[in-house]
Amino acid sequence: MTAVTELRGVSRRYLRGDEVVHALRGVSFTLSAGEMVAVVGPSGCGKSTTLNLIAGVDRPDEGEVIVCGTDLARAGEAELVTARRRHVGIVFQSFHLMPHLTVEENVALPLALGGRRDAVRVLDLLRRVGLEGRRGHFPAELSGGEQQRTAVARALVHRPAVVLADEPTGSLDSASGTAVLRLMDELRRQEGSALLLATHDETIAAAADRVVRMCDGEIVAVL
Amino acid sequence: MLLRTFFLRPVLRRPLRFVTTVIGVAAGIAAVVATVAASRAAVASLREGVNEVAGRARLEVTAPAGLPEELLGRLLPLTGDAVVVPVIEEIALLPALGDAVRVLGVDLLVDTQVRDVEPDAAVLASGRAANMLLVGSGVLLPQRLAERLAVRPGDPLEISIRARRRTLTVAGTFAPRRFASVWDRVLIVDIALAQELFGKVGRLDRIELVPRPGITEARLTAAARLLLPVDVTVEQPRARAAAASRMVRALQFNLTALSGVSLFVGAVLVATTLATSVVQRRGVLALARSLGASRRQIARSLLTEAVAIGALGGALGVAGGVLGARAALTSVRSTVAAVVRGVPATDIRLPLWLAALGLLVGVGVSVLAAILPLAEAVRTPPVQGLVGERPAFLHRPSRRRAAAVAAVFAVLAVALARAPAWDELPVAALLASMALLGVLLVAVSPILDLLARGAAGPLARAAEGTPIRLAIAALAAGRRRASWGAGAVGVAVALAVAIGTMVHSFRTTVIDWANQGMRADIWIRPLAATTGVQVGRLDPEVVRVAERLFGKDVIDPFHTATAYAGTQPVTLAGGEFAVVARRGGVTFRDGRDSRAVFAAALAHRAAVVGEPFASRFGVCEGDTITLHVADGTLSRKVEGIFYDYSNQQGMVVIDRNDFLRHYPDDGPRELALFLPSGVDPAAARDRLLAALGGRFFVEALLNRELRAEVVAIFDRTFAITRALQAVAAAVAVLAVLTVLFALLGERRRDLALVRALGGTRLQVAGVVAAQAALLGATGAAGGLVVGLAIGFVLVKVVNVQSFGWTLRFLPPWPSLAVTGALVTLACLLAGLAPALAAARMHPAEALREEG
Ligand SMILES: Nc1ncnc2c1ncn2[C@@H]1O[C@H](COP(=O)(O)OP(=O)(O)O)[C@@H](O)[C@H]1O
Ligand SMILES: [Mg+2]
Repeated sequence: MTAVTELRGVSRRYLRGDEVVHALRGVSFTLSAGEMVAVVGPSGCGKSTTLNLIAGVDRPDEGEVIVCGTDLARAGEAELVTARRRHVGIVFQSFHLMPHLTVEENVALPLALGGRRDAVRVLDLLRRVGLEGRRGHFPAELSGGEQQRTAVARALVHRPAVVLADEPTGSLDSASGTAVLRLMDELRRQEGSALLLATHDETIAAAADRVVRMCDGEIVAVL
Repeated sequence: MLLRTFFLRPVLRRPLRFVTTVIGVAAGIAAVVATVAASRAAVASLREGVNEVAGRARLEVTAPAGLPEELLGRLLPLTGDAVVVPVIEEIALLPALGDAVRVLGVDLLVDTQVRDVEPDAAVLASGRAANMLLVGSGVLLPQRLAERLAVRPGDPLEISIRARRRTLTVAGTFAPRRFASVWDRVLIVDIALAQELFGKVGRLDRIELVPRPGITEARLTAAARLLLPVDVTVEQPRARAAAASRMVRALQFNLTALSGVSLFVGAVLVATTLATSVVQRRGVLALARSLGASRRQIARSLLTEAVAIGALGGALGVAGGVLGARAALTSVRSTVAAVVRGVPATDIRLPLWLAALGLLVGVGVSVLAAILPLAEAVRTPPVQGLVGERPAFLHRPSRRRAAAVAAVFAVLAVALARAPAWDELPVAALLASMALLGVLLVAVSPILDLLARGAAGPLARAAEGTPIRLAIAALAAGRRRASWGAGAVGVAVALAVAIGTMVHSFRTTVIDWANQGMRADIWIRPLAATTGVQVGRLDPEVVRVAERLFGKDVIDPFHTATAYAGTQPVTLAGGEFAVVARRGGVTFRDGRDSRAVFAAALAHRAAVVGEPFASRFGVCEGDTITLHVADGTLSRKVEGIFYDYSNQQGMVVIDRNDFLRHYPDDGPRELALFLPSGVDPAAARDRLLAALGGRFFVEALLNRELRAEVVAIFDRTFAITRALQAVAAAVAVLAVLTVLFALLGERRRDLALVRALGGTRLQVAGVVAAQAALLGATGAAGGLVVGLAIGFVLVKVVNVQSFGWTLRFLPPWPSLAVTGALVTLACLLAGLAPALAAARMHPAEALREEG
């Protein structure tokens, strides 16, 4: 299977005051097309850092972050924008929907940023996440579970090769959390996107094809 | 879609902020358009009046004191090459209209060939009308004026010429072919009648030459020169217009510069709004970056907003400006009319270029104001990066940098204030004022930073638990935006203080000057138009009547004429030195008693000159000046230099007997009467008016009435200035409102937390209100200091450079204190709306919104 994302010897350090924090220390792994991988580990082990590097919103100090053939570590600003816009879809812990846009407009946003429009595709996804009837509502009028389902639709609308989800159920009760997870899994199978999911909850990881276990900025096991 | 996301949607859902910004820009543009349009209308009327009334004349023959009629005969050889047209052009008061009119005395038989007016067909056809015009006292009226006055041919028309009541007969009407407004206030009479009415028998104001086809201007000029004496000029009418508009140039420049000030305040408001809107939308922008929006897309959406604000504000401002110009016209008219003797314009036209310029300036200012917010917007990191951001104090280097930049601005301001005038305009001094505003804007941020650091110190810890403590912390956290708000308040306060200081210094100086220099008991002058413009002179008979009643030695008739210092027109005046030497008059710059100065001037046949004259031509006491007058040149030693705020083209005063030798007695401009002690001025005035009978249109003002009028004229002239001040203040309050709502949005979670932890609604509202008051107080304090500095530059540099007036620097301390307090209060009040919003906010809701 082709690799849609590959990390090679990636390190990332942060300065906190005068102290150097090693968020990642030489991490390497591969994400293949269509597979679901869970990144697990205690809080502060470097999960979010890993996802941010793949999302093209952060750069490593060392190593390569190759997403769909582009090394984001060396990419220019324009290539980073393209990676975010075309290859990656993101689901955040705190939903992050545009407050002034309706559900439908929020889902269409990644397309619109690239100057595209596809009402059929947007409607189709809204139907599949069960929000067809709420497409004219604003985020503030939705429950947490509904907001996150909107975010899932948004993450998939532009057919990204990789969907990144950082603690996607962290702000939800367990019932809605389970529903969102099931939905993500189902949709990414239908769409053929790879899913990289960061969580500190071992039970969630059970559904994944593979589990990458991290501790203190290093991968300690791949199961 | 993107526009909708970042611009339209937020605007539609929260229109208030957008609307207030648009209004702010509109206010600034309106102020500029209004002053430019009004002062241009006044000046344009001078120029158009000259050009249009001159008709097809290519050349004009003129001399400083008019021409003897014989010159017409000398030009006889030219009749093959040109139409030769004698003209008398004078000003008279039309009491029915309450306004001045231009009276054109022409040779009616030749004149219709050269001027763009068409007399009623009936007039020329009817022998009676022609007879009335040529032999009787017939007058032609513009059709519109005749309709307005409801007069018909044959009706009498009363006019006041040299304050004397004259009755003419309406012979007919005429219709101008174009520029109707120029002709609206023109009466046409036969030249012989005009000569008689204005006491100019045997004299002409000018002779116009209209070349016949095939004759060039140059050839005609050369031919005319050969036939005429050397002291007579042959030039294009344009030259006369140019001289007039040159005189009002400084005035126009200062008015425009002053209105530019309100535009500047508008720009600060746009910058504030955009900066806060960037802050408010930080989350949204960051999310867009995460989802793949490029920097360019974000920049474009912000620029669109700026352009929209600018275009809308510009359009509204242009519309408002035209309305404002109508209101301002009265003020500008009397100011212009005080400078140039003439009939000012009656209507405001909005030239296309001014509308376009207003729009363009609106957009330009908004886009310029968008630069800093734009820089902040494109620096917004993706949303994943936002989490780690914490409010930080300014670093030492950036505070040091701010101090350095402020120092550079301050040095620049001092250097510019000391620079000389640029082409007689105070350009450098106004730039100095801008540099001072720069000091303010740069210094606000570090000052707030100091406040914030203070908040972290022991002083604030003592106040722990109070809203002030939280407010300071909130300001500290949002310091970047807070400094925008305080900056906007500071700029507005500075401008208000500067203008207030200038006006107060000016007003106090003028009042003192009037109190000291205006010593006569009664002033008599021709009835003024309703605009306050004095029209023409007093008939010499008024002087004779007064002399008969009160005796020659208490009467000081004041004559004026135009003379030239080199090529520059100045006012030459004649006063009764013997009378003033006994009773005292104007205040002299070197502090000598005016009686001594006038006595010396009388003894040595010397002149006294006004301060504007002295500074314009670099003259000192003891120098000898030479002027070109009607009959040659006049050289006089300067005995003293007096303060003169009534005149900016420069005045030279000589003894009346001396004056009358050079200019025939065509009546004084005004007459001052010094009564013996014990005589009741009011009774004396009644006696004089009774003696004058109903024959004259004169005004007789008692000492206190004249002084009150000086103040009234002053206040009317500065009415625009006060309006500008109000605009600046309103904009400042808008800015505070904008910033507070933004800060509130930013601190929503903290405030919700305060509530969740058990804070009362009152405490939360108190935090926001205290924040507003702190912001206002900081801005007001900074604005006060900088405003005084700018006021000093205006009083001591700008005024001297543009008008040659020395003023004392007299800040209106009590009203400045009130301004500071009021602005702080206004900010506090502006803070009430967001404070209420904060109080109404449900704690759980605010916390949930953020997820
Ligand atoms: N912007 C940052 N500045 C400083 N330290 C950071 C930053 N982002 C992450 N870190 C640190 O890097 C380490 C890894 O963080 P993170 O990847 O967010 O962990 P996780 O998502 O697994 O909880 C932590 O110690 C965290 O404090
Ligand atoms: Mg994390």
